[in-house]
Amino acid sequence: MTEIKRWLELVEKICVIIGTLVYLVFAVVIVRQVNSMSKIVHDKFNIVLIIFSYLHLAFAILLLILAILLL
Amino acid sequence: MPRAKDLDTIAPDDMVSTTPSVSVHKLKKHHKTKTATEIPVSPSVIPSLLPVRSPQDEGGSPTRSADLKYRQKVYELIKDKTAWPLSAFLARPKVFNFDGQNEDEEILLVLRRHWFTNLHWIFLTIAMLIGPMFLKYVPLLSSFSAKYQFVFILFWYLLTFAITFEHFLSWYFNVFIITEERVIDIDFYNLLDKKYSEAELAMIQDVTSKQGGVSQTVFDYGDVLIQTAAEIPVIKIDQIPNPNLIVQILQQMRGEERQEELEGRQK
Repeated sequence: MTEIKRWLELVEKICVIIGTLVYLVFAVVIVRQVNSMSKIVHDKFNIVLIIFSYLHLAFAILLLILAILLL
Repeated sequence: MPRAKDLDTIAPDDMVSTTPSVSVHKLKKHHKTKTATEIPVSPSVIPSLLPVRSPQDEGGSPTRSADLKYRQKVYELIKDKTAWPLSAFLARPKVFNFDGQNEDEEILLVLRRHWFTNLHWIFLTIAMLIGPMFLKYVPLLSSFSAKYQFVFILFWYLLTFAITFEHFLSWYFNVFIITEERVIDIDFYNLLDKKYSEAELAMIQDVTSKQGGVSQTVFDYGDVLIQTAAEIPVIKIDQIPNPNLIVQILQQMRGEERQEELEGRQK
């Protein structure tokens, strides 16, 4: 029984890590998107949006590290 | 007192060359005949001595003021319409520019979707933010350990931020621009697809506005359809504020373009 539970926990952990990895890719796409949009339309708030996109990427990396280390 | 013949014999309606090199020479000659002593003539004093030229003489025409009249009307229409920098209606923005803009091309208007169209994702964000508070009553994560619950909640808030940010980006970067020469519609559909359409003002054939429903009538927003003779037959601008005003502005700008075309002054 404990063996099955251990396997289930491992599957859970792998699923969460895969989920956070997918999210990390999404965060990278957002950074790329904001940069490419900012090249086409230049407005005064572009820099704020670029900073937010990088902050979001940083948090996505943090989430992946947490998922690997904590779980 | 003897007077120089070359200047005094000119009739008011005679053609006068105002090329500085010729005028300097003639004016120097003129001064020499007037006084016994040498009067230094510097180029800075010459313009005051030259005949005053009317705008017509400078390559303009009496109809030049006609297209200025159109532009003046546009300026009056858009005056005091921008409430704040993140407004959906940016009149003659100082900071804004776009890829492919010519150096001397003035941006008259930048339009985004009306703020009312953003309410759905603002409410969604609020709902997602307060969502985890209900986990006490609906124990969805209770079967997981505390570590998993922490990671899930962190993931939830990041996802909330991402959804909100995506909606904001979609609103912020989907712009419709009216310059003194053309209209440009920049649309970003999702993360990877974008569309860029433009039409010269001279190519615009018809402009129609469409408003329907309670919210559009109350908050004065709607769609504008621009039919063009360009490669893209119709440019549709969705849910922009003051659609009737936009139609008026485009009509004025078309008038100005027609005037320029008549005079052969098109850029």
